Amino acid sequence: MLVLVVGLGLTGYVLDRSFGASVVAGANEQLKLLIYSLLGAAEEEGDTLMFPAAPLEPRFEQPESGLYAIVTDVSGNLVWQSPSLQFGSALSMSIPKPPSAKKLPAGHFLFREIDGRYEMFYRVIWETEGDQVFTFRVITDETPFRAAIASFRQTLLFGLAAVGLALMAAQFFAVRWGLRPVGAMAGHIRAIEGGARERMGRDYPPELLGLARNIDRFIDHEVESRERYRKAMDDLAHSLKTPLAVFRNALDAGRFDDLKLLRDQLDRMETTVAHQLSRAMTARPVVLADRTAPAPIADRLIKALNTAYMEKGVSVEQRIPAELALRCDERDLMEMLGNLLENAFKYCRSKISVSAEPGALVRLLIDDDGPGVPPNQRLRMLERGARGDTIEAGQGIGLAVVAELASNYRGALAIDESPLGGARVMLDLPGAA
Amino acid sequence: MRVLVIEDDAGLRSQLVDDLKGAGYVVDAAADGEEGVYFGREYDYDAAIVDLGLPKRDGIGVIKTLRGTGRRMPILILTARSHWQDKVAGLEAGADDYLTKPFHMEELRARLNALMRRAAGHASPVISAGPIALDTARKEVRVDAEPVELTAFEYRVLEYLVMNAARVVSKTELTDHLYEQDFDRDSNTIEVFIGRLRKKLDPDGALNPIRTVRGQGYRFSLESPR
Repeated sequence: MLVLVVGLGLTGYVLDRSFGASVVAGANEQLKLLIYSLLGAAEEEGDTLMFPAAPLEPRFEQPESGLYAIVTDVSGNLVWQSPSLQFGSALSMSIPKPPSAKKLPAGHFLFREIDGRYEMFYRVIWETEGDQVFTFRVITDETPFRAAIASFRQTLLFGLAAVGLALMAAQFFAVRWGLRPVGAMAGHIRAIEGGARERMGRDYPPELLGLARNIDRFIDHEVESRERYRKAMDDLAHSLKTPLAVFRNALDAGRFDDLKLLRDQLDRMETTVAHQLSRAMTARPVVLADRTAPAPIADRLIKALNTAYMEKGVSVEQRIPAELALRCDERDLMEMLGNLLENAFKYCRSKISVSAEPGALVRLLIDDDGPGVPPNQRLRMLERGARGDTIEAGQGIGLAVVAELASNYRGALAIDESPLGGARVMLDLPGAA
Repeated sequence: MRVLVIEDDAGLRSQLVDDLKGAGYVVDAAADGEEGVYFGREYDYDAAIVDLGLPKRDGIGVIKTLRGTGRRMPILILTARSHWQDKVAGLEAGADDYLTKPFHMEELRARLNALMRRAAGHASPVISAGPIALDTARKEVRVDAEPVELTAFEYRVLEYLVMNAARVVSKTELTDHLYEQDFDRDSNTIEVFIGRLRKKLDPDGALNPIRTVRGQGYRFSLESPR
């Protein structure tokens, strides 16, 4: 809208100025021609000029016609003036002097707009005995020219206004029509919310197809995470049933001598609860993941773990580049690194190393110099929490949670041998630009 | 050793109190953050256990307040939420260690011990001072590698003096840190115990491990390697 107004305004301004200029140029030409005709009509008479009584130009004869001519000699004395200029009239009193010789050299025209009049001057050297210098001057009232400009301006204004309104109306309808598919999209989204529709589909103009696809992906993700949550709750309820049953049976039978059995059931329940809850918690949609830098998070965790494990005196080498960024939520990254670093602190002898390998999928490496993990147990460790094995349950759950979180981001977790002598844990996560 | 427990769950709180008292600690228990801060400001504790999810002033706020008033005793945080954000926040606020619920009481006691020992500047569980070796994990004492039989209370008196070996400990301080409020306290009892300790540790009178500072209190005077 603003562009339209500005555009039309500029156009109008330019047209107005150029018309005005051409009008003035026309006046210029007209006055020049009149001077030529005067020059042609003049006859020398001694040291002065005479002009015929015959009318050169009718308006020079009519008093106060708006067109006047004056011829002066070198001293400024009047040689001739057109009958239209009456002696003693207000106009004759107020005519200013012609410009000096410097401003107006002989043989040149000078055009001037002054006091609402256009004036054309011409200085001529009449080649008689002794060069006589005369100044010819034609004056015309500006009024008719101004009127032409004004009338043009009015027409221009009306014309542009009409064009402007028409364009605005056209724009309005064009936009309305162009946005129809967006309106349709909004309608579809409402239908999805209401349950009448399941997905956006593909029936959109190419500009909106990308958006429709993103919305569908979002929906799919939400459905997927709701499923996971439900599954986790199901698994939780299911896996609690057995230990609870054992407990109840023991109570009913009044058998409290086998405390180890009861304690084992409790451990199982604790492990399951912890694992399934973290599974349910990690089922969050991560379509729009943040940009997080792992280095400062690792530093905070290392500092905190050093406080808690002060006695052990662990030396940690943290080599993740400070500018490295991952496409991952900060809390999730802290959760993953926290669990992995805690394991490293727990099981190392005295040395830990943290580093990163860049790539589209960034690999974070945590090495320790502890006992390591035998190859045949590596895969099982990552699943441990799921099966509720109770020995080393702490480490099992931690790793299982990290594996779960990593898979949420389409990353991965793996265990290998470390050059430091213990375990090397590799966490793959998507990198951010 | 005097311990402050700040725990809002009544069941867990009474379990903690009972277990710690059974292990010989003097325990004060607060049920919410405000009460906890009040206790922490009023009395001198050797350690504190703070639950992070407290009503009326969250655990992290309590830790910050306690540290802000200059309280330096080690703090162990308990947290039901195992999120690392909470653990790191607690440690950054001034805590020294963390435990996630559910936990084993033995682990809690072991960590508490280690924290208090660390705070006294001892890197290992066994503190040696001259010929006397104090095993804070097993609660045993040896002199010249020979075990010495001490009662539970005698051991606690000795442990307190050793952990605070850098300064003079008044009888009042000993009483506050080793006796429950409602116990029938008499300063003479402390003297009796000190006397017994001296006899057991130093029968010949050659070592003089516990020195009396007239009008002020007692001081464990053997040099212990740090």
